[in-house]
Amino acid sequence: MEIMPFLIPIALIMAAFFIGGFIWMTKKGQYDDLETPRHRMLLEDDKKVTHTKEGEL
Amino acid sequence: MSACIHCDQDVVTAYFNEDSTKEGPFCCRGCLTVYNVIHAKGLAEYYEIKKNVSFFKKRAPVEIKSAQYSYLDDEDFLKEYSYLSNNKEQTMEFYLEGIHCLACLWIIEKLPEFVSGVVSSKLNMSRSVVSVVLKNDGKFSRVAYELENLGYRPHPLKMNQDTQNLKTKEERAAMLRIGIAGAASGNIMLYAVSLYAGAGPEYAGFFNLLTVLFAIPVLTYSAFPFYRNSWMAFKNKSLSIDVPISLALIMGGVMGVYNMINGVNENYFDSLSALVFLLLMSRYFLKAIQEMGLGTTDLHFFYQGESVLKVNENNFHMTTEIHPKFIKLNDLLKVAPMQIIPADGVVVSGETYLNNSLLTGESDLQKVLVNDDVFSGTMNMGSDIIIKVKKINKDTRLGQILRSIENGWGHKSKIIDITNVVSKFFVAIVFMLSIALFIWSYKDGNTKHALEQALTLLIVTCPCALAIATPLTFIRTLSKSAQKGIIIKDDAVIEKLARVKNVFIDKTGTITENSLKISSFYILHDSTVAPHDVIHNLEKHSTHPLAVSLKNYIKPLPLKTLPVTDLKEIPGIGVSGIIENHFYEIKNHSIYEDHKIICSFEASDTVRRDAKHAIEKLREHQVHIQILSGDKEEYVQKIANEVGLTSAEYQSGMSPEKKSQVIKSSEQSLMIGDGANDAIALSYADTGIAVFGAMDISLRAADVYLSLPGLSPVAELITISKETMKVIYRNLVLSLFYNSISVVLAFTGYISPLTAAIIMPLSSLSVLISTLIGTKKLRMIWK
Repeated sequence: MEIMPFLIPIALIMAAFFIGGFIWMTKKGQYDDLETPRHRMLLEDDKKVTHTKEGEL
Repeated sequence: MSACIHCDQDVVTAYFNEDSTKEGPFCCRGCLTVYNVIHAKGLAEYYEIKKNVSFFKKRAPVEIKSAQYSYLDDEDFLKEYSYLSNNKEQTMEFYLEGIHCLACLWIIEKLPEFVSGVVSSKLNMSRSVVSVVLKNDGKFSRVAYELENLGYRPHPLKMNQDTQNLKTKEERAAMLRIGIAGAASGNIMLYAVSLYAGAGPEYAGFFNLLTVLFAIPVLTYSAFPFYRNSWMAFKNKSLSIDVPISLALIMGGVMGVYNMINGVNENYFDSLSALVFLLLMSRYFLKAIQEMGLGTTDLHFFYQGESVLKVNENNFHMTTEIHPKFIKLNDLLKVAPMQIIPADGVVVSGETYLNNSLLTGESDLQKVLVNDDVFSGTMNMGSDIIIKVKKINKDTRLGQILRSIENGWGHKSKIIDITNVVSKFFVAIVFMLSIALFIWSYKDGNTKHALEQALTLLIVTCPCALAIATPLTFIRTLSKSAQKGIIIKDDAVIEKLARVKNVFIDKTGTITENSLKISSFYILHDSTVAPHDVIHNLEKHSTHPLAVSLKNYIKPLPLKTLPVTDLKEIPGIGVSGIIENHFYEIKNHSIYEDHKIICSFEASDTVRRDAKHAIEKLREHQVHIQILSGDKEEYVQKIANEVGLTSAEYQSGMSPEKKSQVIKSSEQSLMIGDGANDAIALSYADTGIAVFGAMDISLRAADVYLSLPGLSPVAELITISKETMKVIYRNLVLSLFYNSISVVLAFTGYISPLTAAIIMPLSSLSVLISTLIGTKKLRMIWK
């Protein structure tokens, strides 16, 4: 049980770290749109559009 | 039946690509065009992505309109609708029609790669809103034009920075409340379990202190909405489910702190904070899903229709495109065929036919000539006209209807809201039980112990399962319905629909499709040129509604284009011309070859394919059905017969006001409609359902919007509502059952933080499972 005085502060610091991170991210607007990012991550972003003539059928 | 390869809707009349590839089938020309545009731009990957998407919202077929959107570049317009950032980049938001899956996201966010001047485009899928950032040389008209060509009709949204910021702030606060409650309850549990397991005296006091510290933000910051709602309820001299919850939270907090000061390591913070977390979550999701419904319907209203062409006073050929918001009195506007007239006015040039059905319900076309009055909300069915604006906004016929709608909202019957009814009894019973328990415990003479017992009862009977269960059930129903194309604005609708007795249905546009279709086509004599080729060649340029329906009718047939000489169109009579040395005429619902009749046809408004079936399904719910139509008796009777309604089940010649009178005088009413003439009735009815293709004004008035064509979802929605209410009642019984257990335990003295920590989550879990299981019928429908 001597380990407790060591573990409890670690647990508390971790908790504080994650809660702080969460508050920061929310204020930054990371959670404003919860729907789109989960779809967006499925798309590959390296593929370029090959043909870029505008307004042509 | 096969599905359209662009929009995945069932194909009725198949269209195929006219080039060598013969790709298809497509359900309509719109989808085909978009398919080709996407390929021409090298965006074919769209279809690859779509293939791999397992879940998407159903979407409606694409309808192409050729707007130029040049008004988007006007200074005045930009001032109100766009946002200029410091580095000269402009941002504008558009609501897009037709966003339905991952592939849409892909194609929309590729905009910077194929439209010059676009810096970024970010799509919010749940709102269907894209935010486009442009360099200062970019043009929003270009962006809108490209979006239109891809099959997503864009509608610019007004940027109101202040309300937007306020909303964002509130949403973020809600998110923070949930996050903090979740994190704190997790940590509390860590130390609470240690305490239950029998932490040694050297740690017990410290652990208890930690649980109290973690509970403070939950009981103050996170639980704040409950206190605010309770306060509101008190001010209105009513009770809501939040009152007993707040009571339990406050008592739990007081008792926990009191115990800690007295060195007793006992509190209910583990159960209470977990419940705050769950409650906030369930409410958050319910709100989110309601906003999705509101978003699609309310946003529709912001754009007040399409852009309009303003005509130069001196030269009628010079036009500029403007947004309907910027129409002024005495402006000259050009209204093209199939466009809705944007303001009340008088015709100054041209003559045409108007479809008044959206405004009055009458299906007969009205012929208008120069100097005739025209009203906003009617559709131009013939050829180009130029009107002079006489009334705008509030003063128009549509504007008056809008005001009546706002009145109608106040007349809606109040819902009973079962959880609030229960909570009223609940609070009373729990208070009485607590007093009884106090007296019961006091007989030992120990005031402190008796008070503790009574407080404990108040805490452990917190009706949390009940408060979680109802939103959970509604979340499930609302989201599943949305997937089926039924968008419900408010969960109260479910309760009202479950008790519906009287169903009123509009005719034109609701039971019927509100478009002329050829209902019979008889070839009476042989002719040199086949009748369909006569139509094809003579009616080529005609925009008369009958000509349009004839052209649609012959579209699937193989057609020959032949040289025509002496082609004449006599307005109001018909067309004539010479093909292969014979004189052909199309008039009086017939086709003539050298003045001899060769063919006759009839046209009528067609009943929606599923109307009869939908009405049969509605009958199974034991409701009174009645058609309320503004149309003439003979037409209404014909349609009523067609869908299997008796002569007692329709009323014709109803004005918008009359419709709402009928509805006001009937109880538990449901109105289904589409046009502006139904809007007042929709708002006065206990529940109003606007069908697919309804006017903006009816969308605003209705509680439910069908985002897919057809009437059958209505009967299904009533079933869904009835079954959902069953689940809600079952959850009610379940949670009250757990509360009774707590009461019994409290009276017998077996209640402790540990038993509460077992019973409270168990009750929440069981209502969750009960909600997910639903009922047999619900499982069938959701499948």
